[in-house]
Amino acid sequence: MSTILDLHSHSEASEDSRAPVEAYLNWIKLKRHERPLDGIVLTEHRQFNRNADYRALEDKYGMLVLRASEIETDYGHMLVFGVNDDITRRFDFADVRLPAQQVIDEVAAMGGLVVPCHPGRPNVGLCEHYEKRPALDNVVAVEILNGGSRKGENERSAALVAKFGYRATGGSDSHMVSLIGVCATRFEAEVGTIEELVRELKTGEYEAVDFRPRPSPIARAIPVEAK
Amino acid sequence: MAVEYDPAIIGKVFDVTDPVPVTAAAVRDYCEALGETNPLFTDEQAARKGPHGRLCAPPSFAVTFRNGRHFYQHVPRFGRSGFDAGKDVEFIHPIFIGDQITLSSHVKEIYEKTGRSGSMVFVVIRSTLGNQLGETIAHIDHRFMHR
Amino acid sequence: MADNNSRTFEDLNVGDPLGPVQLFVSRDQARKYARACGLDFPRFTDDEAARKEGLPGMILPGNMSLGILTKLVTDWLGSGGGLLTRIGTTYRQPVQPDLTLTLQGFITHTQPADRTAEIDVWLENADAERLVIGTATVHFPAR
Repeated sequence: MSTILDLHSHSEASEDSRAPVEAYLNWIKLKRHERPLDGIVLTEHRQFNRNADYRALEDKYGMLVLRASEIETDYGHMLVFGVNDDITRRFDFADVRLPAQQVIDEVAAMGGLVVPCHPGRPNVGLCEHYEKRPALDNVVAVEILNGGSRKGENERSAALVAKFGYRATGGSDSHMVSLIGVCATRFEAEVGTIEELVRELKTGEYEAVDFRPRPSPIARAIPVEAK
Repeated sequence: MAVEYDPAIIGKVFDVTDPVPVTAAAVRDYCEALGETNPLFTDEQAARKGPHGRLCAPPSFAVTFRNGRHFYQHVPRFGRSGFDAGKDVEFIHPIFIGDQITLSSHVKEIYEKTGRSGSMVFVVIRSTLGNQLGETIAHIDHRFMHR
Repeated sequence: MADNNSRTFEDLNVGDPLGPVQLFVSRDQARKYARACGLDFPRFTDDEAARKEGLPGMILPGNMSLGILTKLVTDWLGSGGGLLTRIGTTYRQPVQPDLTLTLQGFITHTQPADRTAEIDVWLENADAERLVIGTATVHFPAR
């Protein structure tokens, strides 16, 4: 039984998002026919919400809400799944220049997994860093499909995946309610906990899925006339 | 980019701007510039029948009031250039023609992050607008991005 | 069901759209806005000067984008008594004039207890890239 999760989203806990978690889940419920998600992973910027408890919302909406983080490193932004106390004691997530190789290796040793996100994005994606520096070791998967990407960025990510043979995830990178779930990851196995997610990301079968709406043409532009 | 600043600056209100009068011409020019045709903001007769009983400025007119140069002497700068990164505006009371608007601001927060543009420092300035009756018109958080 | 000019809280449903509305803001219009707001800095009035600052060319002031999105909401509210109580915007990419922009929004949340609704709003280019994103809160006082 497969599981579809949006692996990259930001709630109002991230400084540049105003999306309440409940509004995300309600939107997924409303848009179920377009975005058949089983849950979301909150990847807040530069922090891990240790004490956040979404069980009541999970029960209310019948959806999974897992917690992870988006950190900033010397090789760009990365998602950290399976964050635990050992990891947060070892690395200050507020640091915008974390050492990527160390983070990848030590997080894995501590039971988590680091997934570089939006690798095709300038400055904060792996692709650009790989042009100037050696490739990182022990990268298991990267985010091939990011809902906030601009023209060409997801394509660069795909080229990186093809070149290095990385496994590939998808996530919306949503900072607003209506964008939740536009990109996601479909796992062949059932995923119900963060531990199962980390296990599946490391060794399971999964693929990025694209639920982005196609833009519809609009007939007429209204000019804003200078008088 | 080093993010060094005097922490005492956070929360410190420097002073209040001199009152700026809201004129019919300023509101009209603003409406024309924005292509605003809502009669509540452009038609005195229609506005008399509206929720406020008189013509008022469009809500976004609130962000046109600015701190004086003296304020920015106290605000730390980072990098070589600054850009408006966004705003959060809480509208509390409408702005009417004839109002005298003052601005009181402080640095609310400074933080660093990385993005497409590289390393950036964000300075968030909170401004509170008031009128001649002592009413709060709006709270505005301006986010300035420096790189 | 409300007509376009008298929207009430009871008419609202999560998922209801605002727009889409297409806009073409000319250079002259952008300059006019900048002048009206005392923002006639080179980046808002001159392509060459804007490029010297690392921009792709002359850009709309961020306040103008906020004004445009505010207008999207107040136009949608009409005269039904609803008030815009908050808007927040993030400028993700420079907005250049002389390009067709599309404004859109969706109601994402309603709170019957205090008669408010939250709305996602954004301004996108012809490639459907969201140049400016934001959220707005509207309130419908009890009659």
